[in-house]
Amino acid sequence: MHAVTLDAPRSVESKAPPFAAVAEELLDDVYGYLLYLTKNWAVAEDLTSETFEAAFKKWRRFDPRRGTPRAWLLAIARTTALDWFRADSRRQRREERADAAEPPRDSEGAFGEGLSPALEDGLRALTAGEREVVALRVVLDLDSEETARLLGITPTAVSTRLSRALAKLEERMRDHDVDA
Amino acid sequence: MTSTPDLIHELKVSRPTAPTALRARVREISAQETARAPWPKLRFPVRRAALIAVPTAAAVAFASAGVLGLTRSGGTTQAFREEAQANKVTTEDGPAYGALDTLTVPAPGASGGGRDSAIGPTNDRAQRVSATLTVEVPDSDAVSRAAQDALDLTRRLGGHVVSASVATGTEGSAALTVRVPVGKVQEAIVGLSALGRIVSQQVTIEDLQETLDALERREASVRSQIARITARLESEPLDAETRAVLETRVKTLRAELRGLRRGISGTHAEARMSTIQLTVVTPGAFGAVAPPDRLDRTIDEALNVLAWEAVIVLAVLIVMAPFALAACAAWLGRRFYRRREEERLLAA
Repeated sequence: MHAVTLDAPRSVESKAPPFAAVAEELLDDVYGYLLYLTKNWAVAEDLTSETFEAAFKKWRRFDPRRGTPRAWLLAIARTTALDWFRADSRRQRREERADAAEPPRDSEGAFGEGLSPALEDGLRALTAGEREVVALRVVLDLDSEETARLLGITPTAVSTRLSRALAKLEERMRDHDVDA
Repeated sequence: MTSTPDLIHELKVSRPTAPTALRARVREISAQETARAPWPKLRFPVRRAALIAVPTAAAVAFASAGVLGLTRSGGTTQAFREEAQANKVTTEDGPAYGALDTLTVPAPGASGGGRDSAIGPTNDRAQRVSATLTVEVPDSDAVSRAAQDALDLTRRLGGHVVSASVATGTEGSAALTVRVPVGKVQEAIVGLSALGRIVSQQVTIEDLQETLDALERREASVRSQIARITARLESEPLDAETRAVLETRVKTLRAELRGLRRGISGTHAEARMSTIQLTVVTPGAFGAVAPPDRLDRTIDEALNVLAWEAVIVLAVLIVMAPFALAACAAWLGRRFYRRREEERLLAA
């Protein structure tokens, strides 16, 4: 399923579609993005719920003339994820101080069905920022401009980050093949 | 071995899909849509408000400038003209400096008359009287007539023309310098003022009596010295050197005496005749005081108000600038910090 209809060129007079339709259409995109970002399906699910709750509250403010619903939802998802990263970082620091670090939550099969174990490992080895750009540019097929706007960086930086991420993945998979 | 296109293909075909439980949860959230209040919450969109407020403020500024300009521009052009000219008379009737006196003459804007209010030079003192008059006549033909009348009047009063220049055309003008006997100056001014509407006027009297008295005293002294030396040269036996010195002295004194006589004579002549400079103009001609019409005055006043508004806005901006800069710096700093923090978080 792909959000072709919602990403079509916008008309100036266009009206925001019903939230339910948008949510149904873009749920997989938001979930996939958050899954790649957090590499943890449980966290991704929680954050996806939070994202749609926040989006639902803000839906009246959404202006179709200023962007697609997908870009808007992904921006909210990103903010939600960054908040979680901050909270998680604080929690980890507290636990480190208390010397009671919790074992990492189970994230087996985190990146979806059908991925080879080598690619799963490779994705897990990337940084969150690298996985994010892979998710947006490759998995969700956002163009370079839209991704750059979402991440707050230049399109060139997006291309650089993506190339680096793919090169790392390739390398990891090559290593995996050698090990095998 | 896996290539990048293969990687991309694999990533694309293995897109994550949301679990059923999550889909149900999101559907629940969406289902609340119908239960929401039909009225949107009142919000204050800053950008839209600014989009309206800025042009509105500009419109108010221009409108207030226009209204104030219209109000302050006063009544008719004639009223403004009279007011302006009244102000001019006040200026020209200001205090005199040194030996200068300014006469009261028919008021600007008046056509002729004013004889009763005029004061003249005193007859028992030598005075230099000069007057400058500008009169406005309706058209170019009237300029020629006025110039001719002025020349006739001058001759009739026993005066003469020093210079005359008359230009005709769409904006005719004439410039005349005439000299009339001091005793007739009042009559001349009144007569010349009657040639048209008085635009500006100034009569100046400079006292020459003190100068004349000094010249006459010096003349008497020189005469006396010459008489004494001459008597001595004639009556006393003098050596050659003394005689030569005295004769040189007499020569010098006689030369000085001739100069003094010329000076006394010139001063008397100056005091006998007054000089009048007359300019005759048509409305709009160079040199004429063309009173601005109502529209011009309204625009002037409106521009003044706008200038004041700009000054106030500038002052407010100057006062606010440090706070705005501080706020801007804080915003940029926060943004930079957040960006760095995001990078750090996503680098994990």
